[in-house]
Amino acid sequence: MALIQVKAEISGSVWKIETKAGQQVMEEDVLLIMESMKMEIPIMAPAAGVVKEIKVKEGDTIAEGDLAVVLEE
Amino acid sequence: METTENKKTEVALDWTPELEELRYRREVAEGLGGPESIAYQHSKGKLTARERIDLLFDKDSFRELGKIAGKGKYNKDGDLESFTPSNSITGTGRIDGRKLIVTSDDFTIRAGSSESAVSEKWVYAERMAHEMEMPLIRLVDTAGGSVKDLERLQGTKIPGYPMWSNISLLGRVPVVGVALGACAGLGAVKVGLSHFSVMVKDMSQVFAAGPPVVKQGLNQDVTKEELGGSYVHTRLSGVVNNEAVDEADAFRQVRQFLSYMPRNVWEVPERKITDDDPWRVDQELNSIIPKNRRKIYKPRKILETVFDKGSLFEIARYFGGSTITCLARLNGYTVGVMASDPIVMGGAMTLQSARKMERFVDLCDTFHIPIINLVDQPGVMTGLEAESNGTMAAAMRAIAAIEQAQTPWCSIIVRRAFGVGGGAHGPKQGPEGRSLNHRFAWPSARWGSVPIEGGVAAAYKREIAESANPDARREELEGYYHKLASPFRTAEKFGIVDIIEPCETRAVLCDWVEDAYELTTRQVGLRCRTMR
Repeated sequence: MALIQVKAEISGSVWKIETKAGQQVMEEDVLLIMESMKMEIPIMAPAAGVVKEIKVKEGDTIAEGDLAVVLEE
Repeated sequence: METTENKKTEVALDWTPELEELRYRREVAEGLGGPESIAYQHSKGKLTARERIDLLFDKDSFRELGKIAGKGKYNKDGDLESFTPSNSITGTGRIDGRKLIVTSDDFTIRAGSSESAVSEKWVYAERMAHEMEMPLIRLVDTAGGSVKDLERLQGTKIPGYPMWSNISLLGRVPVVGVALGACAGLGAVKVGLSHFSVMVKDMSQVFAAGPPVVKQGLNQDVTKEELGGSYVHTRLSGVVNNEAVDEADAFRQVRQFLSYMPRNVWEVPERKITDDDPWRVDQELNSIIPKNRRKIYKPRKILETVFDKGSLFEIARYFGGSTITCLARLNGYTVGVMASDPIVMGGAMTLQSARKMERFVDLCDTFHIPIINLVDQPGVMTGLEAESNGTMAAAMRAIAAIEQAQTPWCSIIVRRAFGVGGGAHGPKQGPEGRSLNHRFAWPSARWGSVPIEGGVAAAYKREIAESANPDARREELEGYYHKLASPFRTAEKFGIVDIIEPCETRAVLCDWVEDAYELTTRQVGLRCRTMR
């Protein structure tokens, strides 16, 4: 089972987490929503899988490239 | 009755030995590096250089040039003993009936390396594209230079091919680079120095030098894929435009790309017959932009609705994703399309998207393809990372490319147009000083030098802080300014040609593109751009 590291594509704060560990997700499902550039920018699953770990919590300030979610394919 | 004289004439006219030798040389060339090498190539899931040409071109349209170039071995009497063909196959062929020239590297002979290429041959093909003003496709599968070249030449040479007019070619004819294996050094240049480049996932790599050289020079242990795989170049570096799932997909993309291109810069792209109604109205567009400014939407849905059905061809989807670049058609006319994607980096002009924009605008302008820009631009990316990585330098080059574009241009402001990035939605005057900056907006559009939310917080800092309820006061002020920022107020002053219903966009653009082609037909020829 390959692990997929889902990273933030933009710096900002974590506004809302839309998934939880153990949840099955499909490709392009919204995992969490960042607040950046005055907008709600979703971080989506790059492939279908199971959410293994969420590395951030709501309100966290994270930088571009920071690991946000680990998926198991 | 036969005379001695007659017999002598017959012998003198008998070309059988020469014709046989020609047939032999051709047969050997057909056989590439031999059955074993071909089997090895197939075992790697790769097609041979000749199979690739067959797959790319219209059936039976390939006409080879320089087939018997190669290396002959001769006995002491000067007769041919054996023959190794060049590993660079060249010739002309047709795609959708239109002629072009191809060079195809044959990996089955010395891994496609320059040692066995007879470089005059591929250089000739490139020069032929230049002289005959016809598109060029490079199917690249070469390990690059080889140290054995030194032995062959009994010396070294200063790198380069003086007769290779590569840059000049880019201003004249469409050039396509396809990476079909590990393309090192010159191979990387042949792929990337093009108008459209594509590489096959897990099969091709592109780099200045491969892992052995990297290990020697930098003591880095890397795989070919880590160093120059399709992930690296289509997502991080932007060296290659598109990724293909297999070779057939790569050739399909090449054929599609070329379908939008003219033969050269002295022509305009051919109009394709379409049964899609130019005046088609899609009401769904009127509700595609969320009223809540914080919510995003999917811009590709807009593109699919506005342009001719099935006509979108996206270039560099995964690089600089905050700007989408596509070739497409409107009522059969080829157009270049740029659109902001708020899902990626909020749609901002980033280092990568600015580089992508610059290249795309140059591509369209070079081949006289009118540009349509669907604008939702919050501005040039800000922050520590963006400032230090040279985002502004890239943005300035993109802005220059836009201003230098002579090709007709129409912008549709769908949502935001803020700051320097927002201002750069189209040429203000153009190189001839007569560009209109023709533009329309949807009712969802907002623009300005400064976005209202941050702008109010800055300009009313003390007043907001001293207020009994700072949040309420800030929101009140923001509400006031949002009303002032209504696009209708700009339209009153003719600051924009018109505010249109989103569902009218296709009709507005189809009407415009007809005039754009009247103009662009008379603008053909070489483009001359000043410094940027």
